[in-house]
Amino acid sequence: MKTYYLLGISLLSLGTLKAQVDSTAEEDDFSMYEELDFADEGAKRYCSPKIEGLSPAQLIYFGYDVQGPYTMSADSLYSKSGQPISGEDEMKMGLTHGIRLGCNIPVISKTSLVWQMGLNYWQTNFEGVEQDIPAGGRNTVIDQHKNAFRTLGLNTTIFKPLDDKQFILFQGSADLNGDYSFSDFMPLNYLKYSAAVLWGKRPSEKKQWGVGLARTYRVGELNYIPVVMYNWTDATNKWGTEILFPARAAVRRTINPRNLVLAGFELQGQSYRLYRDQDLRAEDLEIRRGEIRVRMEYQFSLKDFLWVSAQAGYRINYRYHTDRLDGGKETLRAFGLVSDAPYAMESTLTNPFYVSVSLNLVSP
Amino acid sequence: MKKLSLLALIGIMLFSMTAFVSQNTDGDRLLGVWEPSNGRARVKIDKIGDKFFGRIVWLKEAKDPVSGEPKTDKNNPDESLRNVPLKGYRMLKDFVYKGNDVWEEGTIYDPLNGNTYSCTIKMTDKNTLDIRGYIGVSALGRTDIWKRLEIKSKKKSKK
Repeated sequence: MKTYYLLGISLLSLGTLKAQVDSTAEEDDFSMYEELDFADEGAKRYCSPKIEGLSPAQLIYFGYDVQGPYTMSADSLYSKSGQPISGEDEMKMGLTHGIRLGCNIPVISKTSLVWQMGLNYWQTNFEGVEQDIPAGGRNTVIDQHKNAFRTLGLNTTIFKPLDDKQFILFQGSADLNGDYSFSDFMPLNYLKYSAAVLWGKRPSEKKQWGVGLARTYRVGELNYIPVVMYNWTDATNKWGTEILFPARAAVRRTINPRNLVLAGFELQGQSYRLYRDQDLRAEDLEIRRGEIRVRMEYQFSLKDFLWVSAQAGYRINYRYHTDRLDGGKETLRAFGLVSDAPYAMESTLTNPFYVSVSLNLVSP
Repeated sequence: MKKLSLLALIGIMLFSMTAFVSQNTDGDRLLGVWEPSNGRARVKIDKIGDKFFGRIVWLKEAKDPVSGEPKTDKNNPDESLRNVPLKGYRMLKDFVYKGNDVWEEGTIYDPLNGNTYSCTIKMTDKNTLDIRGYIGVSALGRTDIWKRLEIKSKKKSKK
């Protein structure tokens, strides 16, 4: 009998256990949670890499970029030995367009360190309009625009908070830019390395700023320039800025957290190796492309984490000169402060309107 | 013989019950008040049945800077929920203890953008949680570190 009694108690205990573990109770007085501190006395608070209201970071993006018609003009080009290769030329370009895709995946995402790695692939196709070919034939550099120009890059971002206000931000990338094809892939010794390091402060949930130095190809050729970051959101969360000067700067208007409009500019640039043509390959030539994109951008959530970005603006040519490597090395001009070495060939582009649309999976 | 079988049955049941209680007790280490890395909020984790839930119990900026009224869930995609006060809002839902200091099958809600993410919680030590919100697969996510809070006076009395 005693045994059955014991068994009954056991079953009852098991059955009621579930009911006993409901530890929640509705409460309206939250004042008891104001005077709390870390249980672990050694715990530190670190600032976050983001502020309130910023446009969402992209984990994966897939986009398409289209520039309207423009004219490309080129001077004469001479070989290393001073022999003429091509004469002056001018060509009307139809559409310049191509896919832009990439991803940024967090490798380490901790309060004390955030490390992301990314891959990107951009392709630019030129729809040339054959007309008015000079008597000497098409300029050979202009002629290379029958090939797609490609950028294949690997990048990394490291955010290291020093405390709850200060941080260090590092961004680095290695890009393979040129008119290569995948069947005739360009060697990795043509990789272009860019990097930026900033020290910054995040005085509040709605403001962060930083200053630093960048090694960049954004203006088309290698430069070392100071950079300034200033991200800010106003008290109403409706207005803000997203600035990493001189790379990009925008004023943000938040219609609601799923609909944003940005107005500003971005500096884009690459140094494209002329690789496909065997004769030009031997000439060690690179096109230094730098452009300013003045634009309006509308970003909105299509569904949950799937966002669309639609940009429209004006592409202003900053530089489109062809440069020759000197003994395999790039010439550092630093806006003429270090060197005023002439380019192998100077070119100009007129300025078209452009549109760019992308589908983005955004980060939590 | 009959009595022996009965005793064996009781033994098995008590063993199972002990294991069950132990599993539950281990999971209960999650209970308490925690602070996300941004320090903007404090979240109290409670247990209802076998599942764990976390409610916002403190906000660094409790009032809307424009209206001066207590903040509500104004970014919720469901318009009918936009007047619900953020303080008291259940932002962690449905976590189940899986053993090895891991709680899974739950979701985390971000009031800043109104998104709900899949989420796992890993207790790295008794006062630290790795909270990973993700989209679909864990690789597409972000981990935030939460720290356990306790009453200041209690801490002082320990010294």
